[in-house]
Amino acid sequence: MGSEQAKALVNFSEHRLANGLLVILVEDHSAPTVSISLAYDVGSRDERPGESGFAHLFEHMMFQGSENVGKGEHFLLIQNNGGTMNGTTSSERTNYYQTLPSNQLDLALFLEADRMKALAVTSANFENQRGTVIEERKQNYDNRPYGRSSEILPELVFDNFANAHSTIGSLADLEAFTFEQAVKFHNAYYTPNNCVIAVVGDVTKEHALQRIHHYFGAIPSAPRPASPDVSEVTSAGERRQITIDPLARLARIDIAFQIPAANSPDFHALQLLTMVLSGGQSSRLYQEVVLKQEALSAGAFVQERRGPGMLVVAAFGPDEAKAEAALLREIDRVCDHTVDAWELEKAKLTLRRQTSQQLLSTVTRANLLAIYAVFYQDPDFLNRRLDLLDQVTLEDLQRVARHYLDAPRRRTLLTLPPAQEKAA
Amino acid sequence: MFSALTLILMSTLTQDPSNDKDTPLSQVERKNRAPVSPEMLRVSLPKPFESRLANGLTVMILEDHRTPVVTAELTIYGAGEQFVPVKEAGVANFTAQLLNKGTKGKNGREIAEEIERLGATLQVHASYGGESTSLQLTALKETFDKALRTVADVLLNPTFPEDEIARLRERELASLPQMLMSPEYLVSAKFGTALYGEHPMAVEGPTATTLAQLSREQLVKWHRERYAPQNAMLMIAGDVDTKALMSRVKLLSLVWTRLAFEPKLTAIPPASTARHLVVINRPGSVQTTLRMGNLSIDRRHPDYFALTIANRILGGGSSGRLFLNLREEKGYTYGIYSQLQARRQAGPWQISGDLKADSTHDAMREILREIERLREEPVPATELEEAKRSIVASFALSLEQPSRIMQYAADRYRYEFPADYWDHYPAQLAAVTPSDVQRVARQYLNPAALQIVAVGDAALLKEALSEWGEVQVEEAEALPVKP
Repeated sequence: MGSEQAKALVNFSEHRLANGLLVILVEDHSAPTVSISLAYDVGSRDERPGESGFAHLFEHMMFQGSENVGKGEHFLLIQNNGGTMNGTTSSERTNYYQTLPSNQLDLALFLEADRMKALAVTSANFENQRGTVIEERKQNYDNRPYGRSSEILPELVFDNFANAHSTIGSLADLEAFTFEQAVKFHNAYYTPNNCVIAVVGDVTKEHALQRIHHYFGAIPSAPRPASPDVSEVTSAGERRQITIDPLARLARIDIAFQIPAANSPDFHALQLLTMVLSGGQSSRLYQEVVLKQEALSAGAFVQERRGPGMLVVAAFGPDEAKAEAALLREIDRVCDHTVDAWELEKAKLTLRRQTSQQLLSTVTRANLLAIYAVFYQDPDFLNRRLDLLDQVTLEDLQRVARHYLDAPRRRTLLTLPPAQEKAA
Repeated sequence: MFSALTLILMSTLTQDPSNDKDTPLSQVERKNRAPVSPEMLRVSLPKPFESRLANGLTVMILEDHRTPVVTAELTIYGAGEQFVPVKEAGVANFTAQLLNKGTKGKNGREIAEEIERLGATLQVHASYGGESTSLQLTALKETFDKALRTVADVLLNPTFPEDEIARLRERELASLPQMLMSPEYLVSAKFGTALYGEHPMAVEGPTATTLAQLSREQLVKWHRERYAPQNAMLMIAGDVDTKALMSRVKLLSLVWTRLAFEPKLTAIPPASTARHLVVINRPGSVQTTLRMGNLSIDRRHPDYFALTIANRILGGGSSGRLFLNLREEKGYTYGIYSQLQARRQAGPWQISGDLKADSTHDAMREILREIERLREEPVPATELEEAKRSIVASFALSLEQPSRIMQYAADRYRYEFPADYWDHYPAQLAAVTPSDVQRVARQYLNPAALQIVAVGDAALLKEALSEWGEVQVEEAEALPVKP
């Protein structure tokens, strides 16, 4: 556990197989483990109207069996050998990852290569997972207070369907998918040249690369689907929507703004700005809004996207007018005045501390390297990010606040309890 | 540091896929073509440095120089809600939440600034049902000492300002109606009552009544009497030098003095021997949030190893029988799992999941079938060996997580295990036989004694569950008025 080099930086090497698969390798012999992460360049932003939720539903299909792996066998093989694994889908990408004792590197590579090469899903399994995903939707959105609001907000912020619709997808679209679409989807997106694999852990780079060649080398490449158009035409004018949530007993106020891609300089300033607003109990939203009893809780965050993303300032409280006014006052303050130097310093140090903590785990390093390679063709973004954040000045914070948090760009969603409950 | 690693062939735990003559596991199609290393990386868990200060405080330090961060966690046993009488519920929780809201020289804002300016974070918790209060600090290496000094001030000199108490009370009071719309909260609260009756373990959260009666005097008293160093453990992991750190940590024993308090848990009631079915009516629910089970064993019980394996087989993850049957075959749920919670006193062996509302009846039938199967049929040898292997092999993964290593060490203290407890853990698991699994399933998961709580639409659930007994219905939003 003693290597100095891993302190701030992740030392990786990049290799590209003849079929286009990009390989990223990190040696870390501090623990007898290895993490393997694959990021495919497909997410809900690639879905068209009528197809919402398909990228995520398809992620479930990847655990349903392939030429040499039975349905359910993937779970079994990883867990029975002491490993952990998962797959996740966002608007930007789909990824699959596992951490195993380092002597099981071949197992993970075999499983990933087999399902990239030859998925063997039956229509019965497809139906089963459609049902599972519909239950996932209900559990996380429909049966949960404010679940629907997290779907409505991006629809209010973005005009381009690629950005606006949810990754989980609408019930109607989930019910309409066909098995044939799943097969087509795999052929189009699950190709070596549309994927990045990262291996981090207690294996030598030479050995890992040789095994990756062995398992993935013969998988044919295919024409890459065109990248979706995610551009937004910013239409001026504030927008405001009210939604009634039968499960809400408090009002929730979301004030959101469109912001640029997560690798743009302005994004770093905006991210620091959200830390000034809501990082910890010394933050402005806690001290000035929550402690002054204007809301029960309040927060701010940025969404990391490859294209236009959003910054959200939100609060819960019994009095929506009071809470909204308080949020607007704090937004105005960061636009009208420079923040204190200590607030910016705190935000930078906090992000540095959080990053250091995250990078302890091999799987986080593997996931981030693969994702940044897919997003920006730049895995080194992981190493440069903290320096880019460090360069942000007090003037930058005020400049981005004025530019992006400007009133005409504001999108406000009020989620209210049913009327009779409020009156009671 | 984690060099004590040996690669051994553990014959008792080796997979033998060719010898799979037992009945196939539910819905796993085994092609057995993936390359699995039959060897198991057997690791010896690193042991943190351990010391006991003059004031009785146990200190553990684990050096980990991979990244420049340090985490310190102080756990004060006996200062948790489990030690609070039910009618005073919330005292430990409020004391913890208000601990950093004022000290002799600083107000809450100044304390938060002092810590957060350094990029550090401090969390103070005493959750409902817990045995302890914990303070957790994470900081960058360079500023860890400075942040730790502030934490010591917070620990020793809190003032519990009246205005902060009033504001916290008001916020929690206003949050209650929303809390009662959360199906997870409702199912936990009701399941706790079903298991623990009037015991403090049954208290899941605050109510209007408990919030109203909390006073500053109670908090001051709780802090003065229960924050006792001899019952506490300070665990520090990260980029530190043990010797240098110890010389400073030792100073704590000069200012934090031993107290008379000796924690004594109130005995929990015996496990119920009759089945109870409760429905919490949450009209309009599109799913049924289900929890069922009963009290089982404490952490030191000899059946712990057999139950750990039995739990793994039944519902410990996405290769558990419940997941494979109810999700992968039937599509009734996004996920269903079982958990064994063995602590100082007996805890539940329970099953939980969110079910498709109109499949609740069928899902219940399948869950009970899986319970019966575990009780009536010996576990196939392959499945048993795989369950053991999955647990033992996962030890390798804990070596990249200092928090897990600290947890192992803390458990040794907490349950008074011998120093070599974890060295023998794999062998203890390996000794579990199919008849052990069957025996513990019969003993601790008796269908006739299950406590079953379902949160959902009562109109639908009453009928769906009536096959298994009389269904008692309660209204979700009527719960807050109870003390």
